[in-house]
Amino acid sequence: MKRRNYLKVNILAGTGLALGGGFSRPAAGAGNTGKKVIVLGIDGMDPQMLRKYLAEGKMPNFQKLIAQGDFKELSTTIPPQSPVAWASFITSTNPGRTGIFDFIHRGPKNFPADLYLSTSRASEPEGGKLRLGDWLVSLKGGKIENLVSGTPFWNYLAEYGIPATVFRSPSDFPPFSSKANEFSGMGTPDLLGTYGTFSYYTDNPPKNAKDVTGGEVFPTFVKNGAAKNFIHGPNNTFRLDPEKPFEETGGKKIYNYEKLKIPFTVYVDPVNPVAKIVVGDREIFLKQGSWSDWVELKFPLVSKAKSLFGIAKFYLKELRPDFKLYVSPINIDPKNPALPIFNPEAYGEELVGALGRFYTQGISEDTKARTYNVLNDPEYWTQSQMVGADWFRALRFHLDRFKSGFLFFYFSTLDLGQHMFWRFLDPKNPIHEEALKSGLDSPVEKLYQQMDHALGMALEKVDRDTTLIVMSDHGFAPFNRCFNLNSWLLDNGYTYLLDPDKREKTEYFDNVDWGRSRAYGLGINGLYLNLEGREGTGIVKPEQEDWLLKELKRKLEAVVDPQTGEHPIKNAYLAKEVYNGKFVGTVSPDIIIGYRRGYRGSWETTLGKYPKDLLTDNTDPWSGDHCIDPTEVPATLVANKKIRKADPNIMDIGPSVLEEFGLKIPSDMEGKPIF
Amino acid sequence: MFGGEKIKIKKDLYERVKKFSELAGYSSVDEFVEHTLEKEIKDLEGSDSEDEIKKKLKGLGYIS
Repeated sequence: MKRRNYLKVNILAGTGLALGGGFSRPAAGAGNTGKKVIVLGIDGMDPQMLRKYLAEGKMPNFQKLIAQGDFKELSTTIPPQSPVAWASFITSTNPGRTGIFDFIHRGPKNFPADLYLSTSRASEPEGGKLRLGDWLVSLKGGKIENLVSGTPFWNYLAEYGIPATVFRSPSDFPPFSSKANEFSGMGTPDLLGTYGTFSYYTDNPPKNAKDVTGGEVFPTFVKNGAAKNFIHGPNNTFRLDPEKPFEETGGKKIYNYEKLKIPFTVYVDPVNPVAKIVVGDREIFLKQGSWSDWVELKFPLVSKAKSLFGIAKFYLKELRPDFKLYVSPINIDPKNPALPIFNPEAYGEELVGALGRFYTQGISEDTKARTYNVLNDPEYWTQSQMVGADWFRALRFHLDRFKSGFLFFYFSTLDLGQHMFWRFLDPKNPIHEEALKSGLDSPVEKLYQQMDHALGMALEKVDRDTTLIVMSDHGFAPFNRCFNLNSWLLDNGYTYLLDPDKREKTEYFDNVDWGRSRAYGLGINGLYLNLEGREGTGIVKPEQEDWLLKELKRKLEAVVDPQTGEHPIKNAYLAKEVYNGKFVGTVSPDIIIGYRRGYRGSWETTLGKYPKDLLTDNTDPWSGDHCIDPTEVPATLVANKKIRKADPNIMDIGPSVLEEFGLKIPSDMEGKPIF
Repeated sequence: MFGGEKIKIKKDLYERVKKFSELAGYSSVDEFVEHTLEKEIKDLEGSDSEDEIKKKLKGLGYIS
């Protein structure tokens, strides 16, 4: 195995991920068992939308596949969030056993300080020696854990020597240490350890620059025809900041680490709308309104031999009258990955050899840049299409070499596209009219047609020995109204603030009087009791738990939106009634809020804010969503065989794949074969 | 500079520590050793700072 540098060896050793002896696992298709199963995982493909475009004759390949086989709605998880649903897909178990209930989880003992993304976490170090950036600090000597509990169904295939490739499955970071080829998907961080941090260099910063999340705005001015600034990497915990190595506070030294950064200069043509960007030893020529290819960013640590590698794309948005340069989040370089994103490593080398560089960040579509108007609609469309183009190239590569075995291939673009462009479809959306003036024509329809094209590529590989399944993890719905769950808890006496006058300034629950508060909302759908013996601050006694949960359920389902007359909450699910498994009541919320179509948990409530108004309009470009009641957004299931199971569920796909290969279905799988 | 307890380490390790402390920009070996041990203890007591975790969470499109 080619070990690229000392740094990486140590990180991987810390993760405990064994990478084998230096050869790619048998690629899906490298052997020749004859049988082929292809699963196209299309995040967010909505059955209602599919029916609409089928009726309009816009999905010919889906029409063909359905004519050969079948099309049904697919029941999904409570809540129908992608990490939750895909974890149940992977393991064929309910969330009570996967341990994944929301994008955001909390450690109850140290809540609210202990918040984390639900699917992976850096565990405490065990005595290693290396430190890298913000994310990697915790990995040093410790390990990154994929928090999905259970066995991926493709492990059983691999055990029987059936070649398996899993491309970009969500909830698969770091990749399960399976015998399949895997490239991690949703949950994979950027080089800063975040889930996407773009950089925006401009001499005219937006008014909301300080409020921008998911990105940083850097004032940058053109002087004598050149603009200079830095690409900001993670902290270098190998070195102290040479300019200010420490500060003294109260007689104690606080050390400052060096900020890794790479200088760049933009030379602006005095006449034409073009510029030359010099980054390290690389020169890039860009016209105004154009994007660069991937630019390698090398961040030296202690010596030249130890560096962190990232890649970014530059977009020269405007040169005159204002200077506006967007730089994408720094993706982990697939050629020199600083974190384990491939399993085995040789699979990554094969991908890079065939495809060159590509997006590696878990959610590569830069929705935050669109939300804060750093990218407008056509610009965001272009960016997301570049992501999609990477997946199409990768699909071609995998299909071309696919001869037998199992191939799972994931598409993200339709999901993110519906999040951002649903306002084009829905006249009730508060910013619908504005969207129609953006210059984009029917973006959602185009994305569905692109998925039809992907299916067409897969259909070319289908023969009599091939089972082809197209599935999604949930459907989609408008997101027009926001429900402030924490505000409701406050206004109804379940939460108290230390200083009620500072209600509007409360964030991350920092003003909550935990000695009096009985419940809190966290994440998009979770409601938790402040339970004695579980929460570090718990006050609800175990004997009060059941009646309090029932009271909350009854009251929440009775809430009425005065603007529409609707009940925003269709179902408040009690975790103990809808899940089973060891994570129920420990990791799980106590109630999962199933919002009605058109509603969702507000932006503010997810991380502990308490706005004055209970219900507000959603004016964010993020205008479609699915984190609602699962009965409102069933997923899609299409196959080239008759689907005999009456009510197929997302947990059924894994067992169905095993059965197609004639394997026995493990008894701990909850799903049943669909064919 | 510690004005406190002394710790014995092997000579070859000391040489490596000395070399690294210079590379890393510390004013003395003592300062480097003290800070490194502080970091280790801090890590054992907890991992990322709250601010860093919040920053990570906010990069997710679903929340703001």
